[in-house]
Amino acid sequence: MTTETVSPPSTRQRFRAALLKAWEPYRSVPLLGWLVAILVAVGLERLVGLPLAYLLGMSKVPALLGVVVVLSDPIRIPSVLIYILLIYVVPIGLVARFTAPLFNRIAAYLMRYPLLVTALVHLLLLYADLHLWASISDYRILVARLTMIAIIVTLSLNLVNGYMGEFSCSHPGFMALGAYTASVFTLVLFVNDNRFGEAIFPPSWGPYFFPVGLVLGGVVSAIGALLVAIPSFRTRGDYLAIISLAFMFVVKSLFENMEVVGGARGVANQPDYATLPIVFVWTVLSVWIMNNFVRSTMGKALNAVRDDELAATAMTVDTRKTKMVAFLFAAFWAGVAGGLFAHVLHYINPDTFGIRKLAEVLAMVYFGGLNSVTGSIVGAVSLNLISEALRPLEIYKWIIIPIMLILIMIYRPTGLVAFTEFEIEKLFLPKGETSKGAGHGTA
Amino acid sequence: MKHMKFVAVLLIATFVLAACGPAAPATIKIGINAPITGDIPKVGEGTKFAAELWLEEIGGTINVGGKDYKVELVIEDNESKGESAAAVNTKLITQDEVLVIVGPQASKQAVPAGAVANDLETPMISPWSTNPATTKDRPWVFRTPFLDPFQGPVIANFVTDEFGFTKAGVLYDIASDYPKGLAEYFKQAWEELHGEGSVVAFESFTTGDTDFSAQLTKIMDAGAEFIFAPQYYNEVALIVKQAHELGFTGPIVGSDSWGSAETVNLCGEDCYGLFFSTHYAAEGATGATKEFIDKYNAKYGYVPDDVAALTWDSLNIVKTAIENCGKLTGDIKADRKCVRDAMANIKEFHGITGDMTFTEEGDPIKCAVIVRISEEGKFTFYKQVCP
Amino acid sequence: MAFFLQNLVNALQWGSFYALIAIGYSMVYGVLFLFNFAHGDIFMVGAYIGFFVSTGLLALASTGVVALPEGVTLALVLVLTLIISMILNSFVGMLVERIGYRPLRNAPRASAAITGLMIGIILETGNLAILGPQRRLFPDLIPTQTITVAGVSITNKKMLIVGISILLTVALHQFVQRSKWGMAMRAMAYDYVVVPLMGIPVNTVALMTFGLGSALAAAGGILYGTAYPVLDPNMGILFGWKAFVAAILGGRGSILGAGVAGFLLGFIEIFVATIFPSTMRNLIAFSIIMIILTFRPHGFFGEPYSARLRL
Repeated sequence: MTTETVSPPSTRQRFRAALLKAWEPYRSVPLLGWLVAILVAVGLERLVGLPLAYLLGMSKVPALLGVVVVLSDPIRIPSVLIYILLIYVVPIGLVARFTAPLFNRIAAYLMRYPLLVTALVHLLLLYADLHLWASISDYRILVARLTMIAIIVTLSLNLVNGYMGEFSCSHPGFMALGAYTASVFTLVLFVNDNRFGEAIFPPSWGPYFFPVGLVLGGVVSAIGALLVAIPSFRTRGDYLAIISLAFMFVVKSLFENMEVVGGARGVANQPDYATLPIVFVWTVLSVWIMNNFVRSTMGKALNAVRDDELAATAMTVDTRKTKMVAFLFAAFWAGVAGGLFAHVLHYINPDTFGIRKLAEVLAMVYFGGLNSVTGSIVGAVSLNLISEALRPLEIYKWIIIPIMLILIMIYRPTGLVAFTEFEIEKLFLPKGETSKGAGHGTA
Repeated sequence: MKHMKFVAVLLIATFVLAACGPAAPATIKIGINAPITGDIPKVGEGTKFAAELWLEEIGGTINVGGKDYKVELVIEDNESKGESAAAVNTKLITQDEVLVIVGPQASKQAVPAGAVANDLETPMISPWSTNPATTKDRPWVFRTPFLDPFQGPVIANFVTDEFGFTKAGVLYDIASDYPKGLAEYFKQAWEELHGEGSVVAFESFTTGDTDFSAQLTKIMDAGAEFIFAPQYYNEVALIVKQAHELGFTGPIVGSDSWGSAETVNLCGEDCYGLFFSTHYAAEGATGATKEFIDKYNAKYGYVPDDVAALTWDSLNIVKTAIENCGKLTGDIKADRKCVRDAMANIKEFHGITGDMTFTEEGDPIKCAVIVRISEEGKFTFYKQVCP
Repeated sequence: MAFFLQNLVNALQWGSFYALIAIGYSMVYGVLFLFNFAHGDIFMVGAYIGFFVSTGLLALASTGVVALPEGVTLALVLVLTLIISMILNSFVGMLVERIGYRPLRNAPRASAAITGLMIGIILETGNLAILGPQRRLFPDLIPTQTITVAGVSITNKKMLIVGISILLTVALHQFVQRSKWGMAMRAMAYDYVVVPLMGIPVNTVALMTFGLGSALAAAGGILYGTAYPVLDPNMGILFGWKAFVAAILGGRGSILGAGVAGFLLGFIEIFVATIFPSTMRNLIAFSIIMIILTFRPHGFFGEPYSARLRL
């Protein structure tokens, strides 16, 4: 797409061209290379991050790329910039660039193995990055876990609001069902608690049975979803929006009235089962399964139902069944996310799962982009990080985030990265130069 | 390629330099976890103002073992929500690395936040939370006010002595720890005095409700002679006004959550002549209490409520504990432990909300005050009740 | 019996607020086929505008510009407050339409719902940021007189609130049924695609819909202020969502339906609180709504329709 311009290029065009030129060598860096480069950077941060921060006049390592520091203390902007440049940008840039040929060869080599192996290698590296980065402070660990849970919730709501094209408001309710079920499961069975009495099984078993609790939470919320789905999908129109909204109120109110689980005061003391690796594994699992779901025949049928219900019926799609399955599936994952959420915060109450939560989740879905797995990940990660980073602004945070969203909606009504397919296989491919290399290999 | 080498050399040089660079600067960070937005923003404002006034008062430094440490307040908003309060505590402890946390105020936030502080081994003192669960089995959590199991009987006895009533009606917010706990302790105390069933109506609502007509109609129908409403200021005005509109003529009695300047602002004449129990009475105060009230009033233009006074006391307890610690090592974990131990060792404290001694649990034993809202809308001292 | 009647009176007052807000929702939903999630907060803004206008008018009256007996002054202030605030708030509503909805006229409907939601949050937080954390006390425009009939205490406020709400509902219904603009609105509700081709200015009709709904919300806010005089920035959130449910319950685009459903919601809530423990209020109220919608998915007065979703 090179356009021949007669007039001399403006500053902006020149800047763009320079940027593109600087980026040029990085086009050939495969995902593998990036992951290793990040690993080097976070390793570096671990080794010299703290002393460097002191040297630059900061009392500690800037947690979220320094955004928090910048807003509360603008004088620090230069030191934060230097820090980010030295620890992240330069090392990542150097390593990624100069190891690109090597990792392209490795990536090409990995392609010979089954997809699962390649994926596992990448995931292990990704986790290593995350682990090294997060373990510098408890705060990063907390933010990382909450962000990953947000990815699960956002993606599952995207199934309904994006892929199915309905407007569902009941996700906080599903999360609540999952959160309470999983909490009660672990508290009754594995914890000596004032409310639920002695543990039935030895507490050391707890972490091994935690997945059972989560799945149970997911199943309970899927059953709850059935209550919404049966009346809503009988007719077309906006009734899902209302019934799901009513459902959310009903669930919240139900838990407020259940003294067994603490009523409005909530349940606390969930053990620390949802550690960083556990949340990571569940997030990867959910993204993988949901991605497969939307790319399956079922997912395509769902899109067909959204685009034209009558036509879909004519093409032998059982619209009602398709919608029901997708809705219950989404609710299941929301329940799992709720269970994880409860075990990250160690405290839940019905108020957590109210209208504010709904606004948050909806914002993440529409910010990231409808009908897109990548979009959901982008939406969840960016809104979570932005919201953490803007904390120093206190109440103005809740003016800036909405304005941002409104602008996104006006200029990109379906969100940042909407209607794209998330093709795992393509991600792992070697890039650029290796396409020559690959040709050489096959020849 | 040449400049790349240069960059690399520069990089390594910086890192080496950094590795043998300076150590962390010497400040004491105190976290304040306050409800600046949400249901009870006036409480958050009082907390913030009292803390800022306190910082000015101590000149911004605390002297520990002969060395002056600069004091930095990290004030965070918990949106008056339990889960936010827990998240804020986590952030204060892990991200800001505060030495000690003051707050949250309401039990609704203090109970979950206390769990976080205790888990992460950081001393926390709640200035206003009166629910026993806040400090129960939590060696790292302390408080400044008296407890609800004490306040409940105080009110029950007061009403019995003052009016000679036997039938009580209670209206409380079931979704909030403080009103719920206190309502239950009051019911228990009242039924001990007047027998089973003497609380003729025990009605509840949920945070955010504004219409209490159904509950009040039920209470009046049950023949209650007075209503006990342990609510925060924004609900007090609505409850009292609606009760009067429905033709209720008996007194409405409150608890320490009424003690905000906003109560009278919002409620107006409807609240004149009513009684509530609290921690201190601003009107007619003397000594250090008066000094604090005057300073606060001069700076912010209104008489501080009990939250502000209790926050002030809490901060002074914190200061005493840090000073008693003797020496700060710079290792935040060890220092927190030291401050916690010092705080647990404070046996007596003379605060502006009265003298207190501390129990094993970290709870103070102190007197309560019954306040009457005068015809000018002032909180006047009526009676003191000591344990 | 007195107990029942007393609750009936309470329910009438409570329901009239839901009715006034639900109508605003219902109009936007009916004409433009959009969810205006900012409406609850427009109600809040209306109440605050009412607060400032009435305080200003009372201050003006106390300077002695006009010498009238106190009762007359208060009545005059109330009427003027209602009129001025309704006009001002209709501008707020139109502004919301202009900023949040018009740019998204051809976007998926859900995106417009999100901008509405976000504008709502901006209104809440903006209020908190500008006016500070303290609650506002709505001035007492109607000196309370309690009349007791057969053990039921009725205040003049309650009668006035219920009266004005019913009056406004009927007036709006007449406007939509009889006037030329009302006909344009109904036509838009009937067919969104073809009607604009007939020369009906979509933007004007949209602005008018938002303006009328917001004016009603302002009236609701002022009446709410006289009944529950403590104003806070978040007062519209839960109220708005509940009214939204009532609007759908009434049937798409049916003003009378929304009014009736609003009163019904008020009745359900008050009587649930009377019979059951009051915390069951939301649980039972919304369960009832879910059941009603299951068996009558188009609400009370709604027509079954099969419009193609505009996603």
